[in-house]
Amino acid sequence: MMREQRIRRLPVLLSALVALALAITPLPNLLDAFRPDFLVLVVFYWSIVSPRAGGLALAFFAGLALDVVKGVVLGQHALALTLMAAWATHLRLRLRVFSVVSQCLTIFLLLMGYQFILFWVDGATGNPVTSFGRWLAPVIGAALWPVLVGSLSRLHER
Amino acid sequence: MAAFRSSDTSARPTGLLARCIFFSLLALALMIVDKRYEHLVKIRRALSIIVYPAQIAVASPFEGWAWLRESLTTRETLRADNARLEGELRVAQFRLQRYEALEAESRRLRALRDNTASVGAHFLVGNVMDVDLDAFRERVLVDKGARDGVYIGQAVLDSGGVFGQVARVEQLTSEVILISDAAHAIPVQDNRNGLRTIAVGTGDVGRLKLPYISTAADILKGDLLVTSGLGGGFPAGYPVGTVTQVKRDPAQSLAEVEVTPAAALDRSRELLFVWPSPSDVPAASLTHATAKPASQVPGSTPP
Repeated sequence: MMREQRIRRLPVLLSALVALALAITPLPNLLDAFRPDFLVLVVFYWSIVSPRAGGLALAFFAGLALDVVKGVVLGQHALALTLMAAWATHLRLRLRVFSVVSQCLTIFLLLMGYQFILFWVDGATGNPVTSFGRWLAPVIGAALWPVLVGSLSRLHER
Repeated sequence: MAAFRSSDTSARPTGLLARCIFFSLLALALMIVDKRYEHLVKIRRALSIIVYPAQIAVASPFEGWAWLRESLTTRETLRADNARLEGELRVAQFRLQRYEALEAESRRLRALRDNTASVGAHFLVGNVMDVDLDAFRERVLVDKGARDGVYIGQAVLDSGGVFGQVARVEQLTSEVILISDAAHAIPVQDNRNGLRTIAVGTGDVGRLKLPYISTAADILKGDLLVTSGLGGGFPAGYPVGTVTQVKRDPAQSLAEVEVTPAAALDRSRELLFVWPSPSDVPAASLTHATAKPASQVPGSTPP
């Protein structure tokens, strides 16, 4: 039992680390606004596919890592990611029988919820982001979802 | 595609709601403690040391590529570069002679007025790390931190002019907020007539604005703005930018003034941390800081 759990956790950690690296890889200024939240998508994936492998602890600590890397108030991304990952876990059995389009729409809603919590905390802590660019990430992230599921499920199966 | 193959088909994981509430409350508590009190600085520093290898790992391919390109440049380009740099150095030295004479004169005049000269600043060169922070905030990560004596609010310059100030200090790195960040403001002075005002960032790298200029104020396109030194954050007299547009609408009481920053905010790799007076320089960084600021050419190799 113990051993089985350990085997299941390796791909989770690996994919989360790669996603964190992608989140801080430098991009040209123009492309930067289009960067999807890779780590968030990866956390959603594991919350849906195998909630016991990562669970909400994964969501919380991934969020904390994002807080440290982006230098915002500690707990902002952690809160947003925990809530949305819990919602994804709640919806997971229904999500699995959805068509691709409905899956993408659901992921879009989850990503919008995530951004909204970030937006709200930004405002509450007194440094609001005025640009509309941040609402672009959910669209791109949702469009990327099928690709991500395809590549991650391969990693998962191995 | 997009079919989930999963062994885990059990119904809802037990206690999802409880764990969700637990982690959310933990996150909320962290935020409140982080915002209200300064206790979390140590935790954040510890976490940042854990994240540092990831940042290095992301930055190193880019640095490696730059190093490779540099070491593979041909003799021809090196010679051409050398000739160009020598020419530039000659011009710079010529200007510097004048500058030193002016500085001496200024010190004499200040001494006459019984004023303390603030030219004895110390510098430390830091490199911008190839790591993206938030896309919608104008911030960069620099490879000098608390270990080198960098402190929050410290002024940061580049070879063109004022770059920004230190917003957050970790053990090995620090975060610099650019003067163009929407949350940043800097006290400035018109170099032509001494008009004092405040330049505010717009969130757009190439643009600052002066929101508190009345339509009647004497400000023209092409005016150079320098730091006024008021407020004590920035040393006085460093270039901030030039006025590029002045819109005066008679119906409004305030003019719309746009400023282009003097510093290369989106291109600079080497930044200068400034200690306004020698007594503030911490002992740890004295080994790095040079004694004579005039001989420190921005863009030279970092210590």
